[in-house]
Amino acid sequence: MNTPDELQYTAEHEWVRIEAGEAVVGITDFAQDSLGDVVYVSLPEPGSAVTGGQSVAEVESTKSVSEIYAPLAGTVVAVNEALADQPELLNHDPYGAGWIMRLRLDGPPEGLLDAAAYRSLVE
Amino acid sequence: MDDALRTSPLDAQHRALGARMAEFGGWEMPIQYTGVLEEHRQCRTDAVAFDVSHLGTVEVRGPRAFELLQWAFTNDLGRIEPGRAQYTHLLDPGDAHVVDDLIVWWLDATSFLVMPNASNTARLTDALREHAAAATDDVVIADVTESRAVLAVQGPSARTRLRAVAPELAAVAHFGVQTAVWHAVPCVVAGTGYTGEDGVEIQVPTAHAVELWEALLTAGVTPAGLGARDTLRLEAALPLHGHELGPGITPLQAGLSWVVRFDKGDFRGRGPLEAERERGPARRSAGIAVEGRQPPRAGATVMAGERAAGIVTSGNFSPTLGHGIALALIDSAVGAAEELAVDIRGKLVPAQRVRTPFVPRGA
Repeated sequence: MNTPDELQYTAEHEWVRIEAGEAVVGITDFAQDSLGDVVYVSLPEPGSAVTGGQSVAEVESTKSVSEIYAPLAGTVVAVNEALADQPELLNHDPYGAGWIMRLRLDGPPEGLLDAAAYRSLVE
Repeated sequence: MDDALRTSPLDAQHRALGARMAEFGGWEMPIQYTGVLEEHRQCRTDAVAFDVSHLGTVEVRGPRAFELLQWAFTNDLGRIEPGRAQYTHLLDPGDAHVVDDLIVWWLDATSFLVMPNASNTARLTDALREHAAAATDDVVIADVTESRAVLAVQGPSARTRLRAVAPELAAVAHFGVQTAVWHAVPCVVAGTGYTGEDGVEIQVPTAHAVELWEALLTAGVTPAGLGARDTLRLEAALPLHGHELGPGITPLQAGLSWVVRFDKGDFRGRGPLEAERERGPARRSAGIAVEGRQPPRAGATVMAGERAAGIVTSGNFSPTLGHGIALALIDSAVGAAEELAVDIRGKLVPAQRVRTPFVPRGA
């Protein structure tokens, strides 16, 4: 499994990249592999306020539905519209073209795992 | 009861190929190798092999075998002959629900292989033994599931690729059945499947299952798991026991009245089914399609305007069509032109009734 060192993670198998008060969020390589082929992604509304741990999106494979939780409190400033027609981007490039949403954070990021801690969860 | 999961004679091969394994009908079977969508596409465009050894095989033979099966099942064996296969139902004698849907392989005048669903083998043998004891002892009923593996080779190129390694097994007609000797191994092959594509299903003795599996892969047949088998059979609108059929669901509700031959005489479950036919089934299976990719899944409520009109029995994303499809039991009172919607976890998604199969055979 690929778990890039420069990202942060949650125990719900999401990755977070902090960029100047914003957070880009996606699902980990482990998550996409466990789900299998993703066929549908429901995305949150841009502009919506979210609290940490709130369910904000769903990722569906042929076999199951998984919820995506906001890793931190903030406001959704962008979602990856490409996923509507190409949900397979989550499988093919989970840390790049398969990003899910960008949040403007309410406060400093807290409670995230570093790559080593996340690896110890899934290995 | 032994709760341990049963494994296929090909278990080690699946694991070596990196298959993801899961429980299915009391067996641990491969769900996928590389991915459901790719395996699905391979079956629609080329050829795949499924290990379906979890299906049961029950041998029924003897001078009264025909009579027993003709009485136990809904379809009419009198309409086919030895060397042919037939899809049929075993009904509950009390309420005519479908206890199992199965394929009968008619080998010769007095011998048949009956193929139930994995978890229904005991229900089938119990039902047959009950009838046999009541009628005659001139029939042998034997669960021979352990003695063989079953490989399904499916897809537009299934026969071409199979011919390269086992021409003896590739020649069987659509819904034909024949015994064939491959590399000195006695096999039984039928021109049947569960994908909506051409293909064959092969019963090979357990000790030779690996040899045949390896030969198929050498011939360029792609291994496919039960995940793709499910999306393929859904596109073909083929029923799955436990979803479209099962407790509370009769063949008439399932839209499978062609499987029932009232003109053949008495059969198990005939009384209650005839009564339902006279009053008209209260609900019927229908194909529905949703706009967009979101899968309408089993258990979702189908709405007609403000009222609940039915329930999804199977649904998924259709890899071939690129949108969500489902089979649903819809109340007969709902008009064909009424606008439908599926309640997907609180969100109403507009749905339309469509003809089935969703994907035409061999499309």
